[in-house]
Amino acid sequence: MNTIRLYLRSMGMLLRSQLQYPVSFFLQTLAQLVMEGGEMMALILVIDRFDHLHQWTSGDLFFFFGIMSVTFYLTECFGRGVTGEFPSMVRTGRLDTLLLRPRGVLTQVLCSAVDPRRVTCIAVGVTALVIGCRLAAVRWTFLKALLFLEAVLLGSMLILALFLIEAIFCIHSVKSVELVNALTYGGRSACEYPVTVYPRPLRILFSTVAPFALVLQVPAAAILDKPLFGLPFWAAFLCPLSGVVIFGIIYLLFQQAMRFYRSTGS
Amino acid sequence: MKSYLSVFRLRRRMELQYRGAMLGGILCQMFFGLILIAVYRALYDSRPQPFPLSRVVTYVWLQQAFFRMLVASDPDLLDKIRSGGIAYDLCRPLSLYGFYYVRILAQKMMGSLMRAVPMLLFAALLPDGWGISLPASPAGLLLGLTALCLGLLCVSALENITMGITMRTLDPRGIQGMLNLLMMTFCGNILPLTLFPDSWQPVITFLPFAQLLDAPIRLYTGEYLPEFAPRVLALQAGWTVLLVLLGLLLWRRNQKRLILQGG
Repeated sequence: MNTIRLYLRSMGMLLRSQLQYPVSFFLQTLAQLVMEGGEMMALILVIDRFDHLHQWTSGDLFFFFGIMSVTFYLTECFGRGVTGEFPSMVRTGRLDTLLLRPRGVLTQVLCSAVDPRRVTCIAVGVTALVIGCRLAAVRWTFLKALLFLEAVLLGSMLILALFLIEAIFCIHSVKSVELVNALTYGGRSACEYPVTVYPRPLRILFSTVAPFALVLQVPAAAILDKPLFGLPFWAAFLCPLSGVVIFGIIYLLFQQAMRFYRSTGS
Repeated sequence: MKSYLSVFRLRRRMELQYRGAMLGGILCQMFFGLILIAVYRALYDSRPQPFPLSRVVTYVWLQQAFFRMLVASDPDLLDKIRSGGIAYDLCRPLSLYGFYYVRILAQKMMGSLMRAVPMLLFAALLPDGWGISLPASPAGLLLGLTALCLGLLCVSALENITMGITMRTLDPRGIQGMLNLLMMTFCGNILPLTLFPDSWQPVITFLPFAQLLDAPIRLYTGEYLPEFAPRVLALQAGWTVLLVLLGLLLWRRNQKRLILQGG
């Protein structure tokens, strides 16, 4: 509990400091809106031209897009320490100071940064979700709402875990490894569409190594009443747990890697 | 003229340095290309379009291959603007605009060429329906290459305008970030311009952003027939001249009211 209070307090502090330059903050937030808005415009134009994708209607597509962007940008907002700052912490040696304090390294990294500019991206995602629900005429129930929350929460853990892979490489090689972006940003772009549209190798990749399909899309499909892979409704509650498993494995690897951490000394 | 040429050569050699980072970038770009093509293939399955799928696939590969041409920017210049180091550049017996125009041109050209060659080879080896197709005609290839050169000149001019604005605002993340994203959307990187609604086509193909990669690609795939090439090339050249003039004007005004940051 103490850790959570610590995290919340640092978030509050960081937010206040970011809002010290309101004009710059506003412009950057707007730039984010253009970015995610551009992605959504692409989806709208695709739907305008193609109408549907295999068995998925336009509403379903908006819903898949929405759940992905909301989860991804929530993670980028509150997990900024891992998703953005870590490589520079290793490069500049700032990570050393974290080793001296009586808290876990990951906790401190998470407490070190927040990115409130992502709020517009999250808003775009929410808009897509609302449009998706309207078009697909989703009948919400209490269980579905619970499932949605579980998917978003565990989805964030999965995304954090994937960014941690980059952190692990970074600890060993100092330089950040761009290739991992294929899993993180590539996974985001790919899984804005249901995985059933992809050929088998990509489908396997996104159900095992980076299981966006299990964590986000199985619940999303269950909410839309169009089960993915023919799974029953209760299974949709179990699938997202794979995100926790991946997070656990990578967290252990991360701890292992920290034992080999050598300061750059600057 | 000779001094600009040597700046160009120096910068070109600089860009050749980081081959390791480049490999990661290339693999990433290929992965993105494959994902996009998988989506378009599935979309075509659902509802075929009047133009063939192979044209969209070729479009995606060419956009991915020359991605670097769009995003490369000069990190030294940004640093110099913020640190005040740009004062030293004012001492050079060269036009400030010309100096940086040549630098960014070399960087964008070399950066994209080095990535494009291996990526296009990879795309050519992929099976039918996934890989890049041959140009529509030999004339299409030649005209496409000419248009690509003009596109390169045009994108460098655009970049210099963005930098000119940065000299005023000092922070590259606000307005400039937005300009770059507008460029990514309307140059066909996020979604091929050919897939935009038909009623939008006259407007979006006229915008300067379409002159960078969209026009060369359409010449290559034969969407623009060689007969129309003079019009396309003229539009590209027109935008390039206009953007260079605008940039020159902006930089000259900046130079007059220049306030150096720091010492």
